[in-house]
This record gives sequence, C-alpha cells and structure tokens, in this order.
Amino acid sequence: MDGESIATFQFLGLTFNTTNIISGTVAAVIVFLVVFIMSRNLKLRPTGKQNALEWMMDFTNGILRGSMDAKKSTGFGLYAFTLFLFLFVSNEIGLFLQIGWNHVTYLRSPTADPIVTLTFSLITMMLAHYSGVSQLGFKGYFKNTYLTPFKVWLPISIFTEFIDFLTLGLRIYGVIFAGEMLLKIIGGMAFSGGILNMVVAILLALIWQAFSVFLGAIQAFVFVTLTSVYISDKIEVEE
Amino acid sequence: MFSHFLLGAAGAGLYIGDMLFYAILFVVLMAAIAYFAWNPVSAILKERADRIANDMDSAEESRKEAQKLAAERKEALDKSHAEATDIINNAKDSGDRQKALIVDEAQKDAQSLKERAHSDIEQERADAFKGAQNDVAALSIEIASKIVKKELDADSQKELIDSYIEGLGDNK
Repeated sequence: MDGESIATFQFLGLTFNTTNIISGTVAAVIVFLVVFIMSRNLKLRPTGKQNALEWMMDFTNGILRGSMDAKKSTGFGLYAFTLFLFLFVSNEIGLFLQIGWNHVTYLRSPTADPIVTLTFSLITMMLAHYSGVSQLGFKGYFKNTYLTPFKVWLPISIFTEFIDFLTLGLRIYGVIFAGEMLLKIIGGMAFSGGILNMVVAILLALIWQAFSVFLGAIQAFVFVTLTSVYISDKIEVEE
Repeated sequence: MFSHFLLGAAGAGLYIGDMLFYAILFVVLMAAIAYFAWNPVSAILKERADRIANDMDSAEESRKEAQKLAAERKEALDKSHAEATDIINNAKDSGDRQKALIVDEAQKDAQSLKERAHSDIEQERADAFKGAQNDVAALSIEIASKIVKKELDADSQKELIDSYIEGLGDNK
C-alpha cells in the first residue's frame, strides 16, 4: 500500500489517469447494463424488474420534487437519475473490487479521486447556473444569485458559489477515499501478523464494508439532493 | 498518496484529461440511459397515468349510470304497484256493477216469468170454463130438445130411441 504510484498516459497533450479511466468506464458500463436489462420488456402493468426501475426513477424524481416545483423538476429527472446511479455504483465498486498490479491500482472507486467528484460537482454547478440564466434571463439570474438579499452581499455570494462547488465535490470524495483507505489499512493488518490478526481483521473489514455500503448510498443521495437544491436556488426566485 | 489529497495539484498536476473523459462519459451514459430506459419508461408511466385517469372517469360515469338506472327502476316499480292497485280496484268495481246488473236482470226476468205464468193459468182456466159452459149448454139443449121431442111426439118414441141410439152410435 505504501509507495503506491499512479499510472498516467498522455493523449492529445492531455494527461490521463489510467485508474480513473478504467474505473469510470467500468462503473458506467455497470450502470448502463443494469438499467438496460431492467428496461427490457416494458409493460403497462409492471412486473419485477420494471417495478424496481420505476421505483428508482420515482426515488430520484422525489429528491428533485423535494426542492423545486414538479413542473420545473421534470427537466432534471434524467440528470438526477443518471447521476445517482453512477455515483452509487462508483462508491460501491471499490468496496468489493480493487485490482492492483505492480503497486499500481487499476480498479477502485472512481469517486475516491477528487478530480472525479469535482468534475461532477462542476457539471452540477454549470447546469445550475445555465438553468438559472435560461429561466430568469441574465439580469434576473444575476440579481437572484448574487444581489440577494442585499447588493453588498455580492462578494459573499461569489465566495459561496465556490464553496458550494468545492464542498459538493470534496464531501463525497472524503467519505469514499477515507473508507477505501481504512479498508486498505485493515487489509494490511490482516497480513501483518499471525492468525489472530487475520481473524480480527476479517471481522473489522466485514463491519467496515457494511458501513461503507451504507455510506456510499448516503453520499450518492446527498450529492443528488444538494444538486437539486443548488439548481432550485438558481431557477426559483425567493419571495 | 498525499498528491491525491491536495487535489492532485502537488504531484502530477491537474488531470484535465480525466475531467474531460468523465464529462464525456457521463453525457454518453446519460444519452444511452435516456434512449434505452428513461424515455420508454417515462412514456409507459404517462400512458399508465392516462389510463388510470380514464378508468377513474369511466368508473365515475358508470356509477352515475347505475344510480340513474336504479332510480328509474324504483320509480317504475312504484308506478307498477300503483297501477296494479288501480287495476284491482277497477276490476272490483266493475265486478260489483256487473253483479248488481245480473241480479237485477234475473229478478226482472223471474218477475215477468211469474206474471206470464199467472196470466197463462188465468187464460187456461177461463178457456176451460168457457168450454165447459158450451158443453153444458149443448147438452142441456140436446136433453131439452129430446124431452121436447118426446112430449111432442110420444108415438114416435121408438123412433126417437132409435135415433138416439143411432146418434150415440154416431157419437161413438
């Protein structure tokens, strides 16, 4: 675990992290396959997997409806749904599957890397600001976002936007990264001593993994909830 | 490891490539999900909502229809009860009238029959009396004439007897 290095490669003058590329692709493929299989054979009278899929859609739509009008929330349904599933799978994937070779990890939770979580945070903030401008016009958006409640609030508002962006991304990164690191430490402990160490470590790993599954789900939920809150902040004028 | 913690800025620099990759990956994933799952499922959900609304409307309609029919049936039943009572009353009335008529007629008939029988008997009796009177008169005349004839012509008594016997014989 120590001396862990990152495999990178250059393409078109840009630096890519191999681990992130592989992990992200795997997570996306898993999400797509699950949703694809669940959405086969759609019927008016839903059965089994269709019920589950509709429940998931209703779940993310419910998150959106919690913070904005039902009419406005329909446009963001797909985004929230995809975001939730992708983040959820990304959070959980590293818990049971970590592939390393030559001290280089090739597969783990993509969300354990801040660059990934901040990318999603950035996408959310851009979507929120874009929706604000398209809903209220640039003047209305500027007034609603930066000059409310007072005009002198402007510096704080600008600062807040950055804080929102950073906390949204770093929150999920912190939880998942810490979870994975603790798992690695427990794993290292398992092979550090005798059989007793192994037994204790396996128990600890089990408990921590169960807790991490819960944490991953909570973090995906929190991310989507905050996304919908930020979007509604931008598109709805507070009276 | 700490390079991670410092947003990768301390170590290998900010991986713009990763950000781009994830943005594109996410958009592609969103498009695929929209095409294969989100839009079909949304369509199904909308169709189901429409269907449910329709079903509820039609259920409401048929409930109203049923209520109307029940009210109509009840009304018809009440009406038929009244009609039946009317019919029975009418029948009773007309039966009573008919009875009275028949009894009257029968009494009249009996009266007239009785009267006619009386007059017939009277007539008969008068006729019989008259016939008897005629017979008695003829017989008296005959006897008288015979007596007269005997007194008138005693000599010819024999002849008289003969003629009488002859007359009897003739009468026989």
